[in-house]
Amino acid sequence: MTTAEAVRVRTYVQALNEALDLAMTRDPSVFLLGEDIGRMGGDFGVTRGLFDKFGAERVRDTPLSEAAIVGICVGAAMVGMRPVAEIMFADFLGECYDQLVNNAAKMHYMFDGQFKAPLVVRTAAGGGFGGGPHHSQSVEGWFMNVPGLVVVAPATPADAKGLLAASIENDNPVLFLEHKGLYRVKGDVPEGYYTTPLCRAAVRREGRDVTIVTAMKLVHDALAAAEVLAQEGIEAEVIDLRTVRPYDAETLVASVRKTGRAVVATEAPKMGGLAAELSATLSEECFGYLKAPVVRVSGLDTPIPFSVPLEKLILPGKDDILAGVRQTMQ
Amino acid sequence: MSIDIEVLMELYRDMSLVRAFELGLEREFKRGAVPGMLHIGVGQEATQAALAAHLRADDAFFPDHRCHGLNALAEEKHGGEGRRIMAELFGRATGVSGGKGGSLHSANPAVGNFGDNAIEGSFMVTVLGVALAWKMRGEPRVACCVIGDGTVGRGEFHESLNMAKIWQLPVLYACVNNGYAISTPVAASHASGDIVDMARGYGFPCKQVDGNDIEVAYAAVQEAVAHIRAGNGPYFLEFKTWRWQGIFSGEFRPAEEVRYWKEDHDPLKLARQALSARGVTGADLDRVDAEVKADVESWIQFSKDSPMPEAAKAVADVYVGWEVKPR
Repeated sequence: MTTAEAVRVRTYVQALNEALDLAMTRDPSVFLLGEDIGRMGGDFGVTRGLFDKFGAERVRDTPLSEAAIVGICVGAAMVGMRPVAEIMFADFLGECYDQLVNNAAKMHYMFDGQFKAPLVVRTAAGGGFGGGPHHSQSVEGWFMNVPGLVVVAPATPADAKGLLAASIENDNPVLFLEHKGLYRVKGDVPEGYYTTPLCRAAVRREGRDVTIVTAMKLVHDALAAAEVLAQEGIEAEVIDLRTVRPYDAETLVASVRKTGRAVVATEAPKMGGLAAELSATLSEECFGYLKAPVVRVSGLDTPIPFSVPLEKLILPGKDDILAGVRQTMQ
Repeated sequence: MSIDIEVLMELYRDMSLVRAFELGLEREFKRGAVPGMLHIGVGQEATQAALAAHLRADDAFFPDHRCHGLNALAEEKHGGEGRRIMAELFGRATGVSGGKGGSLHSANPAVGNFGDNAIEGSFMVTVLGVALAWKMRGEPRVACCVIGDGTVGRGEFHESLNMAKIWQLPVLYACVNNGYAISTPVAASHASGDIVDMARGYGFPCKQVDGNDIEVAYAAVQEAVAHIRAGNGPYFLEFKTWRWQGIFSGEFRPAEEVRYWKEDHDPLKLARQALSARGVTGADLDRVDAEVKADVESWIQFSKDSPMPEAAKAVADVYVGWEVKPR
């Protein structure tokens, strides 16, 4: 981690904006493209002000052509640029799945290392605001089975900035998931340019009794749950994955070997996703240390409805994490 | 306007090389020496020779499934080795992609070959990124994608032409219309049997030419490349041609159609006629054919003699800078 100067309070959106601004200032090969990211500053305001500062060449509005947006990133990256795309909603990644999975992720491997694809695809993921079936999904599971791809998922404003800068510097294709429920969250953010290492989890709270492994918005729910548990004398360790693929198995395994109990919490549907992967690895690597089976706390195996009360039934939160921990403590 | 006889002789040699390459490869494939699947470009030699003649080492081309010959020509013209294209098809360590890409992912950026993509149409949007980077950096290069008629069915075709136009990108679209997407005739899959009619809607220069007449194809690529290099934006070329290879189970096309393309409109026969009208003897041309055939046979032998990739390559280059554990 490159150290920076003063620390100020900023929102997650402002932190992302600072990372883009600083990365574009220091590296002329970085440019942005996406739908309405220019004058408008993006659907969630992440690119606000950058069009005025860097111009239409480097902050490029595109048609509704998601396959082309990511394809352009791949092609530009092949010849030495560092493009950063915005896909307005993660649900739209289906439109550019081929470019990410078959092209960006395999580029370096299938051409025997002759090409690299140093690109970043930023996108707004996650539910909890009545976005409905096509504006609310957590999609990391769609990309778990894709060797060559990096999937980054920051939970705090400081990490949003440092991880985005690191993703832009990285020579691999990065899918950068921004949870919509975090955009307005505030936190301490160092001033100036810095990077936060990829593929390293952060221990957000230390504890001896149970490990809660999670990412993005649920990190905050897990920390809230840990407060409640502390009142009951249960000390939970909360691990924020930060990079979902390839993930930091070492930190997880060390923690679970210490606590002997694990709850894996993800917002996406349970079947075949990140929670399933983490749970399998923890069972393989920590079986002899476990005092109880690994518990998965996930979204239900359903699409996400528009109705707010129905959505609440489907997406997990603090109470579900508490229930999961209690199950492991029995 | 006719082209110089030296140029025409070289184009004939290039076409003859493409054919020899494909026929030699097909023979080895049928013997089981070449793994996987194979798409042969026999019948489409003129488009490949015309493109190879005008693309430079610092341009980029994305070859289609039947472009082994174009790949080999780019190697030979720009300081590479044609035999490394053959070795790639044999899956050997000496192949341009180290044996990890095969027929559909043979690349060598040093000669401008950016690799095919087995997902038809996928690179139609990748090519935009290459072209955009060059335009942003003020480099007067051409980014070319070679597509078949079937690719027109993909959404990427339309996303690509649209964005190449709005951003005036230096893209050469070389559409090799051989009449069929595997077994499906163009008329059954597209709004127009003339692909150029569909491209014209995007508002940049589009031209349909006889893809089996090397002089016509050569002049068309020359004009298109000059237009693009001068900064005038994209250009779309449709080459009308026909592939000799049937489908997996054999010939399915009408006998008269097969006869016309193989007998009356074979690009090599047409070129031989043009050259003999200008005084070149059949013996001279036979000598050229024999030379390229000998080259191709030596490439096949080189491929067979080359080692398989080392086991460590199975897990190499998944990520830049991070290792993946071997089993």
